[in-house]
Amino acid sequence: MSSRKTISRLAAIGSLSTAVILAATACGAGGPATSGGAAGSSINVLVEAGGHAELQPIADQCKKDTGVNVNFVELPYDGLFNRLSSEFSSGSVSFDVAALDSVWLPSFKDALQPIDELFTDEAKKDIFPSLVKEANVDGHFIGMPAWTNAEIVLYRKDLFEDAKNKADFKAKYGYDLAAPKTWQQYQDISAFFTKDGMYGTDVKGGVETEYLAHVLQAGSPMVLDSNNNVVIDNAAHKQALDFYTSLVKDAPAGAAQVDWAAAQNLFNQGKTAMTQFWAHAYRQIPKDSPVYGKVGTAPMIGGSAGVAGVPGPWYLSVPKATKNTDAAKKFVKCAFDHNDLAIQSSLGLAARVSAFQKYQDQPGYESFKPLIETLNAPATATRPATAKWQQIVDTVLVPMLQKAVAGGDSTTLLADAKSKIQALLK
Amino acid sequence: MSTMESPTIPAQQTTTEPPRTGGGRRRRGVNREGLEAGKRSTRTILWILLAASLVIYGFPFLYLLFTSFKTPIDTIAVPPTILPKVWTLDNYVNALGRGGVPASFINSIQTAVISTLLSLVLAVPAAYGITRYKTRSGRVFIMAALVTRMVPPVAIGIPLASMMASVGLADTPIALSIAHTTISLPLSIWLMSSFFEAVPQDLEEAATVDGCSRLGALWRVVIPVVSGGIAVTAIFAFLASWNEFLFALLMTAVRSQTTPVVIANFQTQFGLDWGSMTALAAVYSIPVILLTLLLQRKIVAGMTLGAVKG
Repeated sequence: MSSRKTISRLAAIGSLSTAVILAATACGAGGPATSGGAAGSSINVLVEAGGHAELQPIADQCKKDTGVNVNFVELPYDGLFNRLSSEFSSGSVSFDVAALDSVWLPSFKDALQPIDELFTDEAKKDIFPSLVKEANVDGHFIGMPAWTNAEIVLYRKDLFEDAKNKADFKAKYGYDLAAPKTWQQYQDISAFFTKDGMYGTDVKGGVETEYLAHVLQAGSPMVLDSNNNVVIDNAAHKQALDFYTSLVKDAPAGAAQVDWAAAQNLFNQGKTAMTQFWAHAYRQIPKDSPVYGKVGTAPMIGGSAGVAGVPGPWYLSVPKATKNTDAAKKFVKCAFDHNDLAIQSSLGLAARVSAFQKYQDQPGYESFKPLIETLNAPATATRPATAKWQQIVDTVLVPMLQKAVAGGDSTTLLADAKSKIQALLK
Repeated sequence: MSTMESPTIPAQQTTTEPPRTGGGRRRRGVNREGLEAGKRSTRTILWILLAASLVIYGFPFLYLLFTSFKTPIDTIAVPPTILPKVWTLDNYVNALGRGGVPASFINSIQTAVISTLLSLVLAVPAAYGITRYKTRSGRVFIMAALVTRMVPPVAIGIPLASMMASVGLADTPIALSIAHTTISLPLSIWLMSSFFEAVPQDLEEAATVDGCSRLGALWRVVIPVVSGGIAVTAIFAFLASWNEFLFALLMTAVRSQTTPVVIANFQTQFGLDWGSMTALAAVYSIPVILLTLLLQRKIVAGMTLGAVKG
């Protein structure tokens, strides 16, 4: 009896599954057919999950303006690079436009179409200089900036404006407590607020960008010079590393493991008085956070070369293998034209200078002025244009920082890093 | 459960011992009390062990579940808290309201069902042939199947994605199902082989004597006997596909993206939305829990199949 039942059940499941197979071979449940058709009015845009929010309002507008319908393919950051590599190497792509992290442009330059015609003089004037430079790889523009970011200083306005803190600080350091502008001020304020279970700042051993910003502030190109010589062992890199590690005593324990997420958590929990962090974080402080409404913003701090930051832009690029080039380029142009719409998204970032300027005086966008100042600073520079950059970061820079914040000797670590990077670039 | 309830000391021990003195009845009573006490303490220890195992296995899921009811600041509390300070359903609203989530569920179900079916359709006859005919090529085949389990999926993911694209199956559930079958098929063959081994050949011979063909004996006699094993294999194949991430990441786009990729999308360059991520993960685990409960009896039967051979 039970055997018959089992057989009947299996038969039923089999029939059902056959039906499902027939349905599945036709189409999945995600949406319309992928690109490749001749019509070209519908395109697929491959985007990192966080970037989707930035581009959705633009896509809605572009559909009205150009008739191009956009289907977004969201992927997590870690998987996006693998997916791009896989599809570019196969020569067959499932997308018509890809939002690319700036560090990937050199890696994928051969698979991307030039979009020089979109970089008019007028457009170039409205893009931060470092981004114009970065978008141009081997003499051709291959990516249009979609949004950009940079580290700025976030600080606890309530603590900085507290009368007792102001008096105590002035008595101890001889100058007024205010948002830090220099390395020395950052060190002093960090030390001052490290008390009673609170820390002055965080030190991020798990990510490299902040250290590289300090290198720029110290007056050196980061890691590679313009001729691709490895300069990581020069005096500026050492100064920057020594400054970076000098803050460990005023930061929560476990600096070697602190990455962006951890640093953001610490600040939003009210455990740190200051952090150098990507500007978008200002608008992402949870409303139930103890620091909500109590945070001030300032441009990135400066060293001997002045203020400098490392931009974190994403670019819209058109793959050579797409069959929808016209529609793809229409969308890229439209996205640039309506770049300011991205600011109204939850992340609130854009790429055009005019877009940031339009919002900079509005409440809730206090991070924009410091961001513009940081991005426009003469010492601000993008990361070296080498296809090996991600490898250099993962296998050399981050391990070096982790050893440094754990007490390693900076000179030895930088020399060691130099030889490893030279080996990678051979 | 049944293990705990079965007596560890035979009851006969007290009843077969002859009373030698007038105090025998009292001694028997004392013995019985002692045995009862022993049983109680054994049961208590077993319960404690069971509870400890449940906590160890269940804590990560419970923590995920509790996190899904936390407010944003609660989810990132330092030090972390187990229970939410304020319970909220906002994370579920955010997660389920996100574009593409319902479609991804349908895609996951489609993919897992097709993959499970493919695995069973291929594994059952393969395992039957290997165990019944016992040829050298069969032994080589089953070892080769095991070797394929040793190839890391990441090594075949990109070539497989390219192959699917070249045959026009890019971004379809069937392509992902085939990819998932490469993971579950070797395990399914091995599992089914062990289940078929446990079925006495006499059963088939008896069926043949009664007029069944070989296939008829397989269909009418052997398969019903190993139905528990098939359920176990189906569960493993289903789970392998349901939870798979890498192939889904490489092979799906607009039409066939499955939920594991959508869950991963809550971690972005701009931060990690723990609340929504855990809420969607909790919802995503419900079908698997239900399926496991539904097939629980079959699974237990399948697990014990072959335990008593003869």
